[in-house]
Amino acid sequence: MTTDSTPGSGLIVDRRQLMAGAAALGLSTAFAAPTFAQETPQKGGTLRLGMEGGSASDSLDPTTYADSIPIAYSLMFWNTLVEIDDTGNATPELFESWEAKPGAAEWIFNVRKDIVFSNGKTLDADDVIHSINLHRGETKSPAKGILEPITEIKKLSPTQIQITLSGGNADLPFVLSDYHLIIVPAGYTDFANPIGTGAFLMESFEPGVRILAKRKDGDYWKPGRGNFDGVELRYIGDSAARTQALITGQVDAANRLDPKTANLVMKAPNIEVVRSPGTGLRYAFVARCDTAPYDNNDVRLGLKYGIDRQKIIDTVFNGFASLGNDHLIGQSNKYFDPSLEQRMYDPDKAAFHFKKAGMTGPFTVEVSEGAYSGATDCGVLYQEALAGAGAALDVKRVSADGYWDNIWLKSPFCAVYWGSRPTADLQYSQTFLSDAAWNDSHWKRPEFDKLIIEARAELDESKRKEMYAEAQRMVNEDGGMICFAVSDFLDGYSSKVRGAAAHARYDLNDQRIAEKGWFAG
Amino acid sequence: MLRLIATRAALGVLTLLAVSVLIFLCTEILPGDVASAVLGNQATPEALAAFRKELGYDQPAWARYLSWLTGALQGDLGQALTNKRDIVDEIGPRFFNTLFLAGYAALVAVPLSVGLGVVAAIREGRPVDRISNIVTLMTISVPEFFIGYILIVIFAVQLGWFPSLATVFSGMSVAERLYVTTLPAVTLTMLVAAHMLRMTRTSVLSVMSSPYIEMAFLKGMTRGRVVARHALPNAAAPIITVVALNLAYLIVGVVVVEAVFVYPGVGQYMVDAVSKRDVPVIQACGLLFAAVFVGLNTLADIASIMVNPRLRNQR
Repeated sequence: MTTDSTPGSGLIVDRRQLMAGAAALGLSTAFAAPTFAQETPQKGGTLRLGMEGGSASDSLDPTTYADSIPIAYSLMFWNTLVEIDDTGNATPELFESWEAKPGAAEWIFNVRKDIVFSNGKTLDADDVIHSINLHRGETKSPAKGILEPITEIKKLSPTQIQITLSGGNADLPFVLSDYHLIIVPAGYTDFANPIGTGAFLMESFEPGVRILAKRKDGDYWKPGRGNFDGVELRYIGDSAARTQALITGQVDAANRLDPKTANLVMKAPNIEVVRSPGTGLRYAFVARCDTAPYDNNDVRLGLKYGIDRQKIIDTVFNGFASLGNDHLIGQSNKYFDPSLEQRMYDPDKAAFHFKKAGMTGPFTVEVSEGAYSGATDCGVLYQEALAGAGAALDVKRVSADGYWDNIWLKSPFCAVYWGSRPTADLQYSQTFLSDAAWNDSHWKRPEFDKLIIEARAELDESKRKEMYAEAQRMVNEDGGMICFAVSDFLDGYSSKVRGAAAHARYDLNDQRIAEKGWFAG
Repeated sequence: MLRLIATRAALGVLTLLAVSVLIFLCTEILPGDVASAVLGNQATPEALAAFRKELGYDQPAWARYLSWLTGALQGDLGQALTNKRDIVDEIGPRFFNTLFLAGYAALVAVPLSVGLGVVAAIREGRPVDRISNIVTLMTISVPEFFIGYILIVIFAVQLGWFPSLATVFSGMSVAERLYVTTLPAVTLTMLVAAHMLRMTRTSVLSVMSSPYIEMAFLKGMTRGRVVARHALPNAAAPIITVVALNLAYLIVGVVVVEAVFVYPGVGQYMVDAVSKRDVPVIQACGLLFAAVFVGLNTLADIASIMVNPRLRNQR
């Protein structure tokens, strides 16, 4: 480990921490995507992005970010504490290195030195503490929840802080990679005039229309990054318009290509489509495990075997999705257990379980386009597949308006999607813990709760992997979530854009294409 | 005649007031609320409660209506709930964009369709009448996004003459703006032309059977001259009404066209606000649209009164 100033050296060094340390030593390993290592980034040009995922009501205040466009523009002007690399590991950004004390409840973080804000101030521990505290206490920040376990943030020196948690969490660096946690100078709240450590300065901010940024003078502190002279981010909410703009060369990159037309976009000359398998939304139907008839696990298993996942993926998502295995952990997550058998459509097994339960429906599932686009089609295909297993399903279509307020968490069986969470722990804590506010399946298993809380504090990587594999098995075999597909992110790029790799977390290279990319010479 | 005009104007104001009550009531009964829409599915109950209180939802509806109305009368539409920006400042440039596009389309559509309507009336039953009728009927019969996409495919993708994105920014010159907004303006023109053309043609033809027209023919005037000098002025009232209706449509009905061409007008702003449950913005946009609609119709009524020779020359 490189952290010599940290007390308590008798630690278990896990793979992730080792990588973090290595990255702190040699920045080049962390900051250059291996695929493009042989090509030297070039400076110049204006990157024109056409994006969906924002609206005229967007603001620069980090406590309001909730969609792709705010994430993308905030990362032009600001940096976060921890970055997630292509393969999903936490790597240093404004935190240079870190170390957990045994039990993972106390952490020491070292703030990167000689980083200067756009107003000339040098980054120190006070700035970091102020920035984290924007999302704690009296605030409406969506990050408040994930920071709740933090009991104390203490400044140890101008470049070192200690974070104390109410319980152990080996994933704290991942939690701190959250996109809300951008770092601003201490005392600063005037977000309309961004002061940050990012590669770009804001030139114009017209939410709902476009954002203009230009490169800061001098060298960016991350070698090989911040190459574009400027960035023009346009709001193009209509997917057909976005695709047209990409094909006609009015933008250099576009996010969220429509799976229905992505095949055609791939054929267009000078366009590259980057596909990130299994990183998008987890599409599911959720049944309440404490409400009849879904309180019978045979019914749940029948429903799980009775859905034709591949057919839904091929028909509704045009093939641009990965198979879901009813446990929400995506294949890009490092704790994804490939040894757990993928559940496929098996009408005989489904019929067997329905027979054992003495029930063949009719079950009623509530669907809505407000749950996710295509939910109704998925429901109809589900009905057809269940009929093949001798069970009946009523697909009840409900209004998209107020779906999350009025149907989800209230209906015994309905459509739901779950976003990808940065860690297996968050994915499970928010969805399947007995007391989780969003335990939409009402699945309550004390042994599962115990497992998750133990895994959270476990610093031994291999033990942890086993624990999460066990958790996946439990949810897969017993849970009420019929997660049949995980969508792929589909980005479109002009072929002159470099640095456009698939990423384990978000699309457009973790929403950092403006910082990471460059134009081929 | 002055009394007639004053009555029309007063009725317009009353209508607007009634509409404001309706808008307020409708936004009250929208399902879902801004707090959960803004905070998304990561919201904690605590954060939701704090946010709702901040928005003043602890007050009764009539009190909120009155303070909203008095604010609106003084030109203060409040702040957007979602990003705390002043609504008047936000809506101003967008309304200008909407007016710009509507004006551009109107400048093309009104002379074109009224002119064609008159020509069609003069040449009743001839090929020019038939063709202009059929073509405009066809364009009005397909949905506007379809026309928009067809134009994009032909003129942006195949020929590359015009951009497919019609986004305009502050600091763009008028020539640039006209260039990028050509495709949406053409789309809108195709949408409204049929209505105006057919109304012009019918109104002109209906007065063509009057005795004084027959008299004009008997004097030996050509058909074109009869239409221009004698028929058109008397057929003006219904034409003005239909032109005003279509102008209003150009301003308030362009939401879909704005979405297809990514044009930053009020329609797009309102759609964003609806999806985020940003009630003050929805109310402001609704009020603005209603004002435009009621205003243009009132103006049309007043103009019809003024061009009507019988009302103009009251004894």
